[in-house]
Amino acid sequence: MSSAEITSELSESHAIPRQWIVTAGRIALAVALLAAWEWGARAFGPLFFAPPLATAQRIVEMAGNGKLLTDTIATLRVSVLGFVIGCACGVSLPFLLRLSPRAAEAIEPFIMASMGIPKYALTPWLILWFGIGDAPKAIVVTLFVFYIVFITVFAGVRGVDQRLINMARIVGASERTIARKVIWISLLPFFFTGLKVALPRAVSAAIVGEFLVAVEGIGFSIERARQLSDTTGVFAGIVVAVTLVLIINAVVNALERRAMRWRPTDRDMQI
Amino acid sequence: MRWRVWFDRLLVLLILLAAWQGGSLWLGNYWLSAPWSVATRFFAALFNGEMVFHAGYTISEALAGSVIGGVPAVLLPFLLRRQPIVVAILDPFMVGGYGAPKLAFAPLFILWFGIGIESKIALVAAVVFFIVYFSTLSGVRALEPKLVQMAQVIGASERQVGRHIVFPGAVPAIFAGFRIAVPYAIGGAVIAELISSNRGLGYLVQTGAMNFDTTQVFVAILAATIIVHAFIAVIDLGERFLLRWRPRGAVLIADHGT
Amino acid sequence: MAGTPMLEIKNLGKRFPARAGREPPPWIIQDMSFEVAAGELLTIVGPSGAGKSTLLNIIAQIETASAGEIVFDGEHIASPEQKALHPGLNRRIGYVTQDDNLLPWRTTIDNVLFPLEVQGTLDDAARARAQELIGAVGLAGFERYYPHELSGGMRKRAALIRTLVYDPPMILMDEPFAAVDAQTRTQLQEDLLRLWSLKRKTIIFVTHDITEAIALGDRALVLTQRPARIAAEHPIPIPRPRQVKDIFTMPGFAAIYAGIRADVQ
Repeated sequence: MSSAEITSELSESHAIPRQWIVTAGRIALAVALLAAWEWGARAFGPLFFAPPLATAQRIVEMAGNGKLLTDTIATLRVSVLGFVIGCACGVSLPFLLRLSPRAAEAIEPFIMASMGIPKYALTPWLILWFGIGDAPKAIVVTLFVFYIVFITVFAGVRGVDQRLINMARIVGASERTIARKVIWISLLPFFFTGLKVALPRAVSAAIVGEFLVAVEGIGFSIERARQLSDTTGVFAGIVVAVTLVLIINAVVNALERRAMRWRPTDRDMQI
Repeated sequence: MRWRVWFDRLLVLLILLAAWQGGSLWLGNYWLSAPWSVATRFFAALFNGEMVFHAGYTISEALAGSVIGGVPAVLLPFLLRRQPIVVAILDPFMVGGYGAPKLAFAPLFILWFGIGIESKIALVAAVVFFIVYFSTLSGVRALEPKLVQMAQVIGASERQVGRHIVFPGAVPAIFAGFRIAVPYAIGGAVIAELISSNRGLGYLVQTGAMNFDTTQVFVAILAATIIVHAFIAVIDLGERFLLRWRPRGAVLIADHGT
Repeated sequence: MAGTPMLEIKNLGKRFPARAGREPPPWIIQDMSFEVAAGELLTIVGPSGAGKSTLLNIIAQIETASAGEIVFDGEHIASPEQKALHPGLNRRIGYVTQDDNLLPWRTTIDNVLFPLEVQGTLDDAARARAQELIGAVGLAGFERYYPHELSGGMRKRAALIRTLVYDPPMILMDEPFAAVDAQTRTQLQEDLLRLWSLKRKTIIFVTHDITEAIALGDRALVLTQRPARIAAEHPIPIPRPRQVKDIFTMPGFAAIYAGIRADVQ
C-alpha cells in the first residue's frame, strides 16, 4: 500500500535499506509533530493548546472514572443503529430497482439530487420532531450511510458481468439464486468499499450530531468542554474521537482483506 | 423511448411534491413546511438580499477553504513525485488525517479562531486538503511510465516532464478530488455555522429551528443543496474544457458480452 | 446419421427491434434452416462477426428470435410470438461460451459443482462424478485453485466440465478454444473428442477455424457474412477415433478443407 515506485530506481543506491529510512522518518515525523504540539502549548498558552501530557492524563482520568466508556458506548449506540438501518436500505434499494429498470431510471435522478443535501443541517429540524434523544442523530447517521452504501452497491449491481448471469441461468439457477450467488458476491467488493467509507463516517456523523444535540457521548463532551473553555477536555475528546474512528477504519480494512481473498490482487488504494 | 423516461421522472416529481404538500397540510406548516411556502420564501429571500447575505457568506467560506486546503493538496504530490521515500514517510500520517473525523475538530477551530469566518475556513480547508491530496496522488501514480520515458528520450527536462506529461495526466484525478470535496466543503461550512455563528446558511437553519419556522429551515437547506450542485456543475464544465482531448463517452460503450 | 433430429431450425431470422421513426436495422440472421441429429457433432464455420454467437444465444434461449422457429426434441421452443425466455431450456441445453465465465470467487471444484448446487442435485454421487471429470481433463490437484490462478487452458477445461457435470443432452459451444495457444487447443480438442465419444452428446460447435471444424465435426455448415445464412454443408467422412494433431494427414482432409475454404469467402 505504501509509496509509488513509478520514478526511476537509480536514486536507490543507498547502503541503508529503504524500509529503515522510511521507518526512521516516520518516527522522526511523529516526534516532531508531538514536539510542535508541546511547543504550541507553551507559545500560545493552555487556553489554546492543551499540552500533550495533560491531554494524555485527562484521557487516563476519563478511562478511570468510566466516562470514556459511557461516552464511547453512547456514540457507538447511535452510530451502529444508524449504520444498520442505512446499510439495510442502501443494499436492498438497488436490488429492488433491479426488478424494474423503468422505475430505476425514473427515480435515479432524484436520489442523486438529494445526495447534495447537507445532512447535518437537518438535525435542528429533526430535533423539533423527535426531541433530544438518539433519534435525530441516528436518522442523520442513517442518511449518511444510506447514500454511501446505495451508490456503491448500485454501481456494483449495474456492473455485474451479464455473461455470468447468463451462464447461471443456463445451468438452471433461479433468479433468486442468481441474486444471492452471483450478483451479491460479485458486488461484495463494492459493498465493502461502501462499508469501509460508511462505518467510520457513521461514527463521525454521530459525534458531530452530538455537538448539536446530546446529553452524553464523545461529541457532547467535546462541545461542552469548549463551552466551558476547558481546552484540555476538547483536546482529549478529539484524540478519543480520532482514535476511535481510526481503529474502526483498521478493523474494516482487515475484515475486507479476509473476505476478498478470491480476488487476484488488492488493487485498492487507501481512498 | 426517451420521452417516456422524462414523463416517468416528471410523474415521480409530481408525486413527491404532492406527498410533501399533502403531508404538510395534514401535519401543519409548523412540523413540515409546504413546498409552496418554501418556494415563495426562497424567491422572496433571493430578491430581498437576505439569501445573498447568508448564502454568500457560506460560499465564501467554502471557496476560501477549498483554495487554502486544495492548492497545497494539488502541489504536494507533484513536488514529491521524485521523492518516493518522503511520500512513504508521510503515508501513514496522511492516511490517518484522511480517516480522522475532521468535523470533530470544529469546536477546536472555533476555540482557536473565534466564531467568525476564520474558523469555518480552517475547517473546510482541513476537510478539502486530504480528499484532494489522495486524489491527486493517485493521478500522479497512475501515470504511464512509457510516456515519461518517451519524453526523457526526446530530451525533456524534469520540469518539462512534470508540466507536459505528469500534470495533464493527473488533471482528471484532481478534478475528481475537488468534485468529491464539494459536498464536504459546503457541509463543513454549514455544520460549523450550525455549531456557532451569526451569519450563513447554517445560522439560518439554526435560528429557523429555534423559532419553529420550518420554512426557513427548508429554504436554507434547499439553498445549500443548490449550491452543492452548482459547484459540481462548474467543476464538470471546467473539466470538460481542460479535457477536450479525452474521448468522451468511450467508456460508456462497454462490452455487454455475447 | 440416423435417427430423428434432435434440433430443427426453420427459417430462423434475427434483427434488433426498430427504434421509433428509424429504418429497421438489418438482419443479423436470415432465413436459416438446418437440422441436428441426436448424438451428432455439428460444426458451424463462419467469419468473425457473422452472427454465430447470436445463433447459439437464440438456441440457448438467451435471445429471442425475430422470425422462424426452433424445434427441440419434437417441442417448439422458440418463435417470434414467444413470451418468455427459458435460458438453457430447463438444463437440457448446455452452453460453453467463448469466455469461460467461471465465477472468480469460486475454486475450480466449486465452479464445477455450481450447476448442481443451484439445481439442488448436489450429493455424494454428484461430487464423485465431478471429481471423475476433473481427473479426466487433467485438473486433478487444482481443485482448490481460484480461476485467476489457473492457465487459460485449465480454465477452458473447467468451463467444459462444468457443463458436462449436469449432463444436458445437447451442448452448444461458441469458439470455446479460440483464446488459447495452438498446442493447448489441440489438447483441448482431443479431450473434447474423448469425452464426446464416451457420452455421445449432441453438440453444435461454432468456430472460425476450418481445421478445427473438420477435426471435430461429423458435418460442417458454412455461414455467410451478415446476414448469416447457410452457404454450404460439408459432410466430414473422416473415420473416428481421430487424432487431432494428425488430422492434416487423414485421407480426404485436403479436399474437405479446400471445399470449405472456397465457401467461407
